Amino acid sequence: MRGAPTGPVTSRPLVVGLGSPHRGDDAVGVVVARGVAACHVPGVDVVAHEDPTDLVELWSGHELAVVVDAVRSGSEPGTLTVLETGALGERLRESAWGRTGRGGTHAFGLASAVELARALRRLPDRVVLVGVEAASFDHGAPLSPAVAAAVPTAVDRVLAVVREASEGTTTPEGAARVPG
Amino acid sequence: MSHKLTDGGQVMHVGTLARVEGEGAMHIEYRDGTVTDVQLRIYEPPRFYEAFLRGRAHTEPPDITARICGICPVAYQMSSCWAVEDACGVEVPEEIRLMRRLLYCGEWIESHALHVFLLHAPDFLGYDGAVEMAADHPDVVERGLRIKKAGNDLMDTVGGRSVHPVNVKVGGFYRYPTREELRAVRPRLQRALDEAVQTVKLVAGFEFPDLEQPYEYLALRAESGYPIEAGSVVTSSGGAFAVRDFTKHIEEFHVPHSNALHARLDGSPDPYVVGPLARYSLNADRLSDVAREAAREAGLGDTCRNPFRSIIVRAVELVEAYHEALRIIDGWTGSGPASVPVPPRAGEGFGASEAPRGVLFHRYVLDDEGIIRDAQIVPPTSQNQPSVEADLRTMVQSWSQLDDHALQHRCEQAIRNYDPCISCATHFLDLTVDRG
Repeated sequence: MRGAPTGPVTSRPLVVGLGSPHRGDDAVGVVVARGVAACHVPGVDVVAHEDPTDLVELWSGHELAVVVDAVRSGSEPGTLTVLETGALGERLRESAWGRTGRGGTHAFGLASAVELARALRRLPDRVVLVGVEAASFDHGAPLSPAVAAAVPTAVDRVLAVVREASEGTTTPEGAARVPG
Repeated sequence: MSHKLTDGGQVMHVGTLARVEGEGAMHIEYRDGTVTDVQLRIYEPPRFYEAFLRGRAHTEPPDITARICGICPVAYQMSSCWAVEDACGVEVPEEIRLMRRLLYCGEWIESHALHVFLLHAPDFLGYDGAVEMAADHPDVVERGLRIKKAGNDLMDTVGGRSVHPVNVKVGGFYRYPTREELRAVRPRLQRALDEAVQTVKLVAGFEFPDLEQPYEYLALRAESGYPIEAGSVVTSSGGAFAVRDFTKHIEEFHVPHSNALHARLDGSPDPYVVGPLARYSLNADRLSDVAREAAREAGLGDTCRNPFRSIIVRAVELVEAYHEALRIIDGWTGSGPASVPVPPRAGEGFGASEAPRGVLFHRYVLDDEGIIRDAQIVPPTSQNQPSVEADLRTMVQSWSQLDDHALQHRCEQAIRNYDPCISCATHFLDLTVDRG
């Protein structure tokens, strides 16, 4: 047995909005995370983050992590792609996910973070990836209209996942917040 | 991938370089078994930052230029602050300089830890990447993540965020971290320092190809201490000049195969090198005792001319960054103001600092209202491009018998020696339209 998991395991779901808030549609993960936090679902941790490398650390000890990120797969902008992986699930194939979250990380993307965490036995049992098809990653640009329009649907999707997972748990401590 | 040419030559083309920042490609041509052309093609779209800065206020460069890179935003912030303050005739107090140095340590740690453990070590241990390496060497990767995390914590505490810090302004900081906040990160930094010393031992045990590089080295050198946030320019052939004379010695030029400018020193056709090897070779005497001892045990002399051994030098610099961060925190009083006023005035200002991958130079021309009329940014990867290509030319010749996969891997490793930041290096020529 190698690389045993560290720290206590928590049933509090973790929601991560991944991406830079200043590079066009790359911000969609952060915007969705803020939308989730605004719903004040008890017992859920919500963070916004730019560096996928840190996911290994961020989600360690969580049974469920939901990661929202911009994705490029060739679909129509705003299209939602939901993929389930995790320690109990399939390996994440490089695909559109491998190309996301690259800014500032020397090409160490979300797919690499998932598989690195799996190798280190630090991957949550369930990781749900919610991708929003992006149109533009221009510096300083706002979300493109199709992506902005998809935000409420993405928020609902994340909430559905965490609410379903939270059913039956009895430790609703504090409301979700996005730091920073 | 490689293919034969009709004239009997052979071309190898790697469309996308893995594990480097930004998007680039590599192109190698052989004729009769001899390497005739090597090109590092940086096709990341030009980003026009220098043009984008024109017309902006003199207070804006630290926030705008930080966005050039997610790996070394502090370097952009610091070089731009020095340049604007130079143009405005303002010198910041020593305490602000120290806090800048502390923040910069966090960036060096983040950048070097990522490169040493997740990008470069897999090359030496024989893996395609960190994921594959983690399956067999989880302890190495976990150590790398811990070392990097302590750097993130430092960036968070001083800069307000671990990526793209928001606490830096022209003239200093929006606020200083409190002594309590600094004390809170200290134990993690101390643990990480010990792990960094172990890291030097680990990487010193890797096997290194035998290659000595003859090029000129260029780095900053400060009045005291290892060069990080400031200094004047020195070279391995004994050259020395002030940062304000940078453009008198360094000339940027365009090559057809790359969106990034190249650079030459004093008109020489030979490449020059910036980055850890240059910094170390020109400043080994300035390292702290603990870093110097780690370097000595790793078998490094006063200079290092094997680009593959840059991983050892980066590990030594991790030790130095942690040691320096602890020194600054322990001596911190936080008594002065977190920033000083920088009233605008017309003038030209120059600033340079040591980004993790080498000297980063900024120049701004301001009008009397502080509006930026001209801006120039010379990132380290631009300066290193000719030496990257020259290294490849030397190495590829001796590796010509390798199959394509092995050759590609070795070439990528040679490029990663430099930890190039392609997205930082991308510039473009001014557009001139001739309508007859």
